[in-house]
Amino acid sequence: MVPFISSLFLLPVIVSGLVLILPKNLSRVLVIATAVILSALSLYLFIAIDQPLKFSAPEYFNQVVVAADFLLLLFFAWVAIKRKSLLVGLMTLLQLGASIYLFKNPGSENTVQFYVDKLSLFMFLLINVISSIICIFSLKYIDEEDCSNFRKKYFLSILFWFIAAMNLVVSSDNLEYFFLFFELTTLASFLLIAFRKDEISVRNALTALWMNQIGGLAILATIFFINYNGYGEATFTNLLAHAGTTTILLPLALLSIAALIKGAQMPFSKWLLGAMVAPTPVSALLHSSTMVKIAPFIILRLSPALQGTPVAWVIIALTGFVFAASAIGALSQDNFKRILAHSTIALLALMIMMAAVGTQVTIIAALTLILFHGISKCMLFLNAGVLERVFHFKQASDMDRLAESGPFTSFLVAIGFMSLLLPPFGAFIGKWFSIETLGSLAVTQRILGALVIVLIAFGGAVLSLLYFKVIGLIIARKGEHDKLKFEHTSPYYNVTLNILLAFVIAGVIGFPFLITDYFIPVASQTLGQEIVMTTTGLTMHIGQMSLPIIPLIIAFLLLPVTIVLALFVRFKNVDRAKEYACGEKVNYSFSTMYFSTDKATPYFTAVGILFFIALLVVVLI
Amino acid sequence: MDLYIQIALIVLAPFIGGLVYGIERVVKARMQRRIGPPILQPFYDFFKLADKRKMIVHSTHAFLGIMHFFSLWFALAVLLLGGDFILVIFLHLLSTALLILAGYSTRSIFSHLGANRTAVSVLAYEPILILVAVSVYMLTGSFDVSSIFSYDEPLLVKMPLAFLALLLILPIKLKKSPFDVAEAHQEITGGVELEYSGIFYEAIYTAKWIDEIFCYTLVYLFGANNPLIGLGLVLFAFVFVNALDNSSARVSYKQMLRFSLTIALPIAFINLLLAIFQQVL
Repeated sequence: MVPFISSLFLLPVIVSGLVLILPKNLSRVLVIATAVILSALSLYLFIAIDQPLKFSAPEYFNQVVVAADFLLLLFFAWVAIKRKSLLVGLMTLLQLGASIYLFKNPGSENTVQFYVDKLSLFMFLLINVISSIICIFSLKYIDEEDCSNFRKKYFLSILFWFIAAMNLVVSSDNLEYFFLFFELTTLASFLLIAFRKDEISVRNALTALWMNQIGGLAILATIFFINYNGYGEATFTNLLAHAGTTTILLPLALLSIAALIKGAQMPFSKWLLGAMVAPTPVSALLHSSTMVKIAPFIILRLSPALQGTPVAWVIIALTGFVFAASAIGALSQDNFKRILAHSTIALLALMIMMAAVGTQVTIIAALTLILFHGISKCMLFLNAGVLERVFHFKQASDMDRLAESGPFTSFLVAIGFMSLLLPPFGAFIGKWFSIETLGSLAVTQRILGALVIVLIAFGGAVLSLLYFKVIGLIIARKGEHDKLKFEHTSPYYNVTLNILLAFVIAGVIGFPFLITDYFIPVASQTLGQEIVMTTTGLTMHIGQMSLPIIPLIIAFLLLPVTIVLALFVRFKNVDRAKEYACGEKVNYSFSTMYFSTDKATPYFTAVGILFFIALLVVVLI
Repeated sequence: MDLYIQIALIVLAPFIGGLVYGIERVVKARMQRRIGPPILQPFYDFFKLADKRKMIVHSTHAFLGIMHFFSLWFALAVLLLGGDFILVIFLHLLSTALLILAGYSTRSIFSHLGANRTAVSVLAYEPILILVAVSVYMLTGSFDVSSIFSYDEPLLVKMPLAFLALLLILPIKLKKSPFDVAEAHQEITGGVELEYSGIFYEAIYTAKWIDEIFCYTLVYLFGANNPLIGLGLVLFAFVFVNALDNSSARVSYKQMLRFSLTIALPIAFINLLLAIFQQVL
């Protein structure tokens, strides 16, 4: 097994190098082959490995990690000097100082650096399959970018490098390794956001860099704290072994801070919103499907220790607030990718909250949301790429032209948004579970539970409003479609989007099976408890939640299928009439409604900062 | 409730809704010192509309309107069968979504404006409904509507504030003054309803009846155990909503949103807190 897992690490690195030197046609074949291999490997590993697997890297690897650490920090320092960025420089100095100190005073000898359990395998599957699809998409996308051939190869190379880093992140147990790989993803994010090399890209890339560096600093602080307190090894498993003690709260809070920053929760959401200037595959890969999923991943890893602690309560309150605030923020955006970014932040908040509540059903809800949000957002972002390249627009209000010129793409965008909103898609089930389980939280944490329920209810309504708005833009049409011809886009775009569509539909049809064979095993191992699901008639019960199957099937027919059918149905023997406009014959052009949230944004940021301070303060109490 | 009664109610819902709507028109007329139409007028309307020449703007619009009716009927069915309360609220939300999408699908200004306003009014009432549902969960321990019937006391006694919040948002859901911005006849000539005619308009019209049954069922739930209290509450809500409709002018959507979020939502929130503390006690 270990060789298979290591190949998940090594193969992308090798391909990353090869892509730089091979000629274009050969590298295309290589990319597609690697995509298939990585996906197949992660699927095989998920099926094959049942019990958590611990293994260690070879002896020399420790030195490699330390060297890579310092090289990375030196690179950041160079960036800070070259771009004259004070914040990046400050963060790098702090990280350098911490790293040198830790290097001089190593903790106890840790021999087992990697820990792969069902949660890691779950993340492997998500990362490798989605990244592979995005890499294939980028083959065509980056080809049409206005830059030198070498930079195009460089783009693909960094994408693969990033896949390796992500695979390493979700399987690291040793916190020092985790820090390195965490910062490697930050590096990839920085390089990719700055790819287009114009002023705004560089500026946003620097913002992303220093904000994520704060996260890295938090991880270093955790290691420092563990070594200082003589807890033993600085590993996740060791932290979990100390669950229930009060002194563990500080490392938990610090790691949660790292997670919250990576997940772009307020007040650190600026970096994700700014990252949307990057090429679309970057937005799809890093900033919706994989890298930001590190945030709920960390909280899920820590959930047995985090559950019921004051740190968890602050996280729940913060993410509830962010859910409502970023949903409101989304209503003010016109740029399609920014709408998607805000919606990502909101759903990430929900995922982190579910992971922080830490009961059986909420962990399953978090896993459901992670998987289905990853697939749906990837599809939506890739569609944004197609809209940008093939149809040449970036604003949502331009989408009303889409129904006539690009029916298949508009259909895919509609399905993408519907899969986030409607039953029985996974994201809806996740939201539904979250409201119900928050009810059970409110029994123990009364005021917190009540507040969070209000925030979720309100935020959910606002998000629904957002999705209605966008789907409404897509569904507008002038009259009957006489001959519905699906437009022809490049096969790279077409095939990848169709694969994602197939996943979405498979997710619907296979959902009951997914729960039993996929989510429950992962959740059981994450929590360390056996989760049992019973079936009475046609209802599935897990803990206190029940999932009635028949209403969901009928809901599926009545809602998503209806909207899809509505695009294609045609009434016969019925006359057509023009719209009523009091007899006037003027041409109207339609946009959609926006809410201006400029006045509210400073308050949101201030509240976010207060929450972060609370996170640290609550540890002291 | 017996399964047969439930199924009978579900199947007969449009008819009962039509009767309720007819009685409502008579009551409103009598309040205005008119005689009003016959009680069966909605059914006469149905036959007349079915007879009219069939005209649509385009198939997508017409189809979405018809499916709005069916999905709203389904949401009512789940409610009457005692299903999960939150699911019922979401299903109702999503059937309204079909109406909103129908409104957006044509290139008609009034339809578009109506869809905008309907979307905003969804924002006004949905959080409060969810809060009421969670308060019910706090008291009965289950999210199923059927558990309300097996609860020993009428909910009104335990959660009067929730009933108040529900009463406050009932005009929004039923599209009655002062919160009928979504369909403001004098402003946007009916909003989404405008582009429907004939039998297709009948779908929207009947959906409104079913919406009324839905809302009054929610009111009935507050006196579920005791049919007398339940019916009394329904009558009270009926008279209240219609009297309010007759006597108030329309407010703008911003005022409606502000009212709902600053008055109705805090009331529902305080109710939730009280329910939580009651539960622990």
